[in-house]
Amino acid sequence: MSSSYPKFAVVGHPNKGKSSIVASLALDDSIQIGNTPGTTQVKRAFPLKVDGKIVYELFDTPGFQRARRVYAWLEEHGDVPASKRVDVVKEFVHRHRDNERFRDEVELLEPIINGAGVIYVVDASKPYGAEYEIEMEILRWCGQPSMAILNLIGDDDYREEWSRALGQYFRLVRTYNPMTASYKEHIELLESMAQLNEDWTKPIKQAIDALNRHYELKIEQTISTISDYMIKVLSFVHKQKIRGEEATPTEKKRAKEAYKKKILSYEHKEQESVEKIWQHNGVEKSKEELNLERCGLFSEESASIFGLSQKELIITGASAGAITGGGLDLLVAGSSFFLGTLIGGVVGGVGAMYGFNNLYELRVLGQSIGKRELSVGPMQNLNFPYIVLGRALYHASLMAKRSHATRGVIELKNISFTEEIISSESRKILEKVHIKLRKGKEITKEEQEEYTSTLHKSFLELLKS
Amino acid sequence: MQQKTTQLSLKSYLDLNQLLTIYKGSHEENRLFSLSQKNRNSIVILLAWLEKNLYRVTSELESAKYLHYLTLFSSLFGFIALILGFSTGFALLSYSGSEPVNVIYLLLVMVGLPLLSMLLSLLSIIFGNRGANFFAHLSPLYYLERVVNFLPFAKKIEFSSLPFSATLSKWIFLQRVQIFSFLFSLGLFLALILMIISKDIAFGWSTTLQVDAKSFQTLLATLSLPWREFIPSAVPSLELVELSHYFRLGKHLDSNMIHNADKLGAWWKFLAMATLTYALGLRLIFWGVTSYLFKQQLKKEFLSLNGVSKLIKEFQTPFVSTQSHKDEKHLEIKENIVHKVEENVDEEYQAILGWNFSDEQLLLIEDSLSIKAKIKEPVGGKNSFLDDKNIIDKLKGDILIYVKAWEPPTMDFMDFLEDVLDNSSIKSVNIAPLGTAESQYKYTQEDMEIWLRKLESIDSDKLGVVNV
Repeated sequence: MSSSYPKFAVVGHPNKGKSSIVASLALDDSIQIGNTPGTTQVKRAFPLKVDGKIVYELFDTPGFQRARRVYAWLEEHGDVPASKRVDVVKEFVHRHRDNERFRDEVELLEPIINGAGVIYVVDASKPYGAEYEIEMEILRWCGQPSMAILNLIGDDDYREEWSRALGQYFRLVRTYNPMTASYKEHIELLESMAQLNEDWTKPIKQAIDALNRHYELKIEQTISTISDYMIKVLSFVHKQKIRGEEATPTEKKRAKEAYKKKILSYEHKEQESVEKIWQHNGVEKSKEELNLERCGLFSEESASIFGLSQKELIITGASAGAITGGGLDLLVAGSSFFLGTLIGGVVGGVGAMYGFNNLYELRVLGQSIGKRELSVGPMQNLNFPYIVLGRALYHASLMAKRSHATRGVIELKNISFTEEIISSESRKILEKVHIKLRKGKEITKEEQEEYTSTLHKSFLELLKS
Repeated sequence: MQQKTTQLSLKSYLDLNQLLTIYKGSHEENRLFSLSQKNRNSIVILLAWLEKNLYRVTSELESAKYLHYLTLFSSLFGFIALILGFSTGFALLSYSGSEPVNVIYLLLVMVGLPLLSMLLSLLSIIFGNRGANFFAHLSPLYYLERVVNFLPFAKKIEFSSLPFSATLSKWIFLQRVQIFSFLFSLGLFLALILMIISKDIAFGWSTTLQVDAKSFQTLLATLSLPWREFIPSAVPSLELVELSHYFRLGKHLDSNMIHNADKLGAWWKFLAMATLTYALGLRLIFWGVTSYLFKQQLKKEFLSLNGVSKLIKEFQTPFVSTQSHKDEKHLEIKENIVHKVEENVDEEYQAILGWNFSDEQLLLIEDSLSIKAKIKEPVGGKNSFLDDKNIIDKLKGDILIYVKAWEPPTMDFMDFLEDVLDNSSIKSVNIAPLGTAESQYKYTQEDMEIWLRKLESIDSDKLGVVNV
């Protein structure tokens, strides 16, 4: 049975990362990946559909289990010209379809005899072994376009000796590590697959184009999610009624806790949305926190990693204050001799110093009917937006770069994060919006667009790093 | 039943805004919907998407409430403008019989006032957004919001949830101003026609300024340019202008005027044409321009509604899916490992077999590990089954089998192992997983566990796993 779109069967010895490669290429983190041989028991098709139409199809297959027996059978029945060898393989599959002993071989050979190209996977971090040649011979008998992938599972590198051997059997030999492969490497591998057969070039190119546009959309959706989340968090005010004229310590504590809880729930939802955008639906709850729990949103550690240093804060506060002061200068056409800028800068800088350890501002609000309210927020701490934003961008970048073959917990690196991704110039733009939100003012569409565009640039930088 | 939303209007704008707060659709749904549309224009697709999904808004449509009140108030203002225009016209044309109706006075109200309001509209169009906030405060909608707050239905419309910008409010206001002004001028015009038919009105002109009849006639002729060619009788002649000139000094009308009273009535044609052209015709053009600009602004704001850019992007971006439709058959991994790794290794065995090792590799291993055997044979690999069988047949006593620890046991090996275990001359079969030569044949714990787990499936007392 043949179809108009290209098919690729990912085959090889057991435990060489076939399922990881398929998970990475199919962007599917639900595929079971294990170090126990035979994790993949039946072949599974992963069609890449663009607008519902299959453009190409990948097959995850079980590994060779009885390659020598298969080859022995083929040789015994294969006294035919090379052009007829594929018929012998077909005959083997046909005869052993219900034979439990050859279940794995039948599963892996079936898509190939039906026209799938061969992607043979080996672990090039381990030495080459002549026993692989039996598998490669069987694949050669199938007569389909084929390429080999050198997967580096371990730390050692035997690619050179593998390449020398594989080069004799396969048209192309490429290195691809599904655990660490970037989006660019994913696309490059697809381009290699397109070279296997002239007829496959067009559909694979179409798939690459669709994937590129889809990738851009995911970036835009991520930034839009983060931008909306920032506005929600930074302008959030928690209010609760109090009994007396003044709030009791318990009431204050409860209000702070409720405020914190809400902010954390916003972060939780934002992370969930970003994970969904990047199709990481399998990130477990414990991993969902990405080890950020020990570096909680409200912790000093988080502030030191994601927040700005005191010096940066003063500079940001000063430049943001100067923006406000500069407005005054403009209003009086510079006749204030730019005193507005100077005063604004000084006030902003001092405010930043004061605000560094000042997380909450609690206010008691009077009401006409006699009852009083305790209000918490918006957060006045100048560093808070950068901590929230840093965490959101960092989490998003991890999700964007995380391979769908990865199953481990992501470790948070102790880096000076914010300075690395948000330039001082960008911070000025962001701070304008932060100031308005801190004051409980609404921001205009134009301001939000500028904010989003600044985040977009920072995120792209982060993806490159 | 919901009203169809096939054209961009205030209704579709408000409906989409409301719908997007509760539903945005998935990329797949949105893309497939977009592909099903023949017209590729984003607005047309958005309107069709709105029409398809509007049923999801189960609460009352904000647009229905808002447009109801907007129409109500606009109709009320429009009616007032018409009545006001008619009353003004009626009052201005009321002829006492002692003094003619001053044409200058009429011209100021019937033509001057509309031209002045058109000039204001023009200024606000030219100044664009800079005047937007100012005009938002002039907008009836702005005050409507405040007035409505005091009315019983105050809570029915949440004005804060309406997405209008000051600029769009300006265009809503300007468009309506043209309609109200048109109705005002229409009232004036109707009053003029009614008065002309029902009364004999003597027109004259009088001004404190020192304007001679010739200059005045030149001005009027200039005003009459648009219709001079096809209705020449509606252009006041110099003779008529001279005849109609009167002064307030004196108790009676000029005898000359009384003598030519029939000619003084000829002014009405000029006044009617001036009203039709400048107050009504030009107003219609202004209405057209403001309507066009309102639509443009509405289109701009429609496309910048929260969530619309995401929708459009999803309409335009191919939906890529890579999921398998076949459920995965999960392997049940055995967690408990019964086999223990024997650390005490004999220095000599009856035979050493190297699974997937070559002769050279076996020599190197022997040299490195110093474990001796009389028989040393490579098995598996490129050996034929007959080769392996011959080797198995000659085995006896204690056997050591080296395997590559990093290569998981395949069924090929398991078959071979079963054949070895079936040989009754063999006392024990010891599997020794080895690491790579570079790691001095030391295996990793992870690799060893894989081997132990696999060997669990073989139930034989002869079988053991050793660490060499």
